[in-house]
Amino acid sequence: MAVDMKMPILIVDDYKTMLRIVRNLLQKLGFSDIDEAMDGTDALAKLKGRRYGLVISDWNMQPMTGYELLQKVRADDSLKSLPFVMVTAESKVENVVAARQAGVNNYIIKPFSAEVLKAKLKTVLGDF
Amino acid sequence: MAETGKLDLVERLTNECIDLCRSVLRGRKLIDPLVDPAFRTERLKRALDEQKTAIGEMEMAVDRIMSAVERIGEIDFSARADAGEQIASCCEEIMEACCFQDITGQRLTHVMGTLGDVRKGLDELAGGRQSANASPAASGLLNGPALPGDAMEQDAVDKLLASGGK
Repeated sequence: MAVDMKMPILIVDDYKTMLRIVRNLLQKLGFSDIDEAMDGTDALAKLKGRRYGLVISDWNMQPMTGYELLQKVRADDSLKSLPFVMVTAESKVENVVAARQAGVNNYIIKPFSAEVLKAKLKTVLGDF
Repeated sequence: MAETGKLDLVERLTNECIDLCRSVLRGRKLIDPLVDPAFRTERLKRALDEQKTAIGEMEMAVDRIMSAVERIGEIDFSARADAGEQIASCCEEIMEACCFQDITGQRLTHVMGTLGDVRKGLDELAGGRQSANASPAASGLLNGPALPGDAMEQDAVDKLLASGGK
């Protein structure tokens, strides 16, 4: 099934520069409906209010981290199947293992290239 | 009378010695968090490493951005049909390089936290107040960006994910 390039995507990061970078890269890939949140709490509120097709989240944020957001998403019946990609500088084995066990769909290490983002999104969403 | 005077002197000296010991003990307690081997060898060393790495990352990012800008400057717009493509590629390069702000920001936040604890310790020493515990280092899974040689590469992450995270 073809990927719906108009599906809403939520990007979550506490650094505005990163939000801009990810938004620009997604737009370049052809996605047009992109929302932003500055931390897990903000993201969770947005996820409750709208049906998104994908979440791309940083890990290290306050007051709610991306990892906690992932756990809450997976624990919520209405959100648990939502594709969730972690984009983070947290690159220790224990982080990747924890994210995998919490149900992350993919994990991208910062800094990353547009090519890596594209490849990982294809893995999660299918070809586009 | 002379004996009484000597006893008073001994008592005064003893009390002064006790006060001195108490001051030394209090000073040691105040300085403990700063001379704690874990603080000096781990947090202070890590802060220095983070700062050094951040400087290197900023230099690399600026180099990448400058190289992309120079490539734009070298494009012969009259002769190259793919000038637009070339510019788009350079813009993408610049955008990717801007990731440095997030990474170095997290590194410098670590440094600021450590310096904050040093300042707090010194303030308390100067004021002679009881030391509060230094704020704990980032705990749990909040490690921040790894230092060179300590990070997993994307390929290794992919393999780990594919293996089911075991």
